[in-house]
Amino acid sequence: MSLVNFTTREITCKIVYYGPGRSGKTTNLHYIYGRVPNDRRGRMVSLATENERTLFFDFLPLDLGNISGFTTRFHLYTVPGQVYYDATRKLVLQGADGVVFVADSQARQLDENIESLQGLQANLVAMRSDMRSMPLVFQYNKQDLPPELILRPDDLDDALNFWGIPSYASDALQGKGVFETLRAISERVLRRLSQEGPR
Amino acid sequence: MRQARAVEEWTAEPLERFVAESGARLTLLMTPAGQVLAQHGFTRAVDVMAAASLGAAIMASTRELARLLQEAEFSALSHHGRRHGVFLGGLDGPRGRLLALVVYGADSSVGLVQLFFEELVASLAAAAPPPPAPTPLLAADFERELNESLASLFGR
Repeated sequence: MSLVNFTTREITCKIVYYGPGRSGKTTNLHYIYGRVPNDRRGRMVSLATENERTLFFDFLPLDLGNISGFTTRFHLYTVPGQVYYDATRKLVLQGADGVVFVADSQARQLDENIESLQGLQANLVAMRSDMRSMPLVFQYNKQDLPPELILRPDDLDDALNFWGIPSYASDALQGKGVFETLRAISERVLRRLSQEGPR
Repeated sequence: MRQARAVEEWTAEPLERFVAESGARLTLLMTPAGQVLAQHGFTRAVDVMAAASLGAAIMASTRELARLLQEAEFSALSHHGRRHGVFLGGLDGPRGRLLALVVYGADSSVGLVQLFFEELVASLAAAAPPPPAPTPLLAADFERELNESLASLFGR
């Protein structure tokens, strides 16, 4: 839930990067962390297993600067992608203002993408929300892999994106599409906040 | 001079009184999503946000464990270290559920913190103003400023 303070004119929003295991959610945050000046970001917190898989979440606070007279901050979170961490995914999703669904473009990962997307919808419904009302963008990651291994963005739109939500091809390791995805979800979150006010 | 820094001003006075009475070194008041409402004692904003996200996660997972065990709630948690102790508690009030993360040293104790935490809960409930009515928030052309902010953020 957005935190809006009219006295100090500050807005804080929570954005969650969701998707199947190894799709590149943490890589998105690492790229953002590496590119943003020190004074515009906070400490990145990662709760990971010994082999660097996200156990609970990654967290990166980002200072967007002044927008419409409000000091605007985004808190970026990732969820653990592995199927058996559904309970912690729900917890991280609580209070989210926007979601980035990071899909793995590899053809053999399509079922995992679909299962994760169904899980997202179920978890949003449990929070009395859903994919039509929650600001959401898709990111089709690993588009740099050989063409014979991956599905094209159009194919992934057909398989996953039934609502015509904005989608972005990406190579999060090199940063391609990371900035565009963040820009798109930021716009959608702030537009909703502008239209509906703080929830 | 006021020592507490509060996003929600009505939380500052109860928080300062709690810190003075309990001997807490650091205190955070936040929402269940980890958004900070007020803090006392932290010197760097980044540490505040990291502590809030971790504290909120601990409370969220503990609450879920309680649900699995069919407990109504584990109302508070405490961790003891050699130099510091940490107390985490939830409180329900007119502005919804809030969480408190309290760090104390050898000059205080979990008992003292717990005692004055109950007073903090009552004084926050008394101080909370009614929720503000929804009002138009951002200018219609906020996208231009957002794009400029993101461009400067990424150096593009």
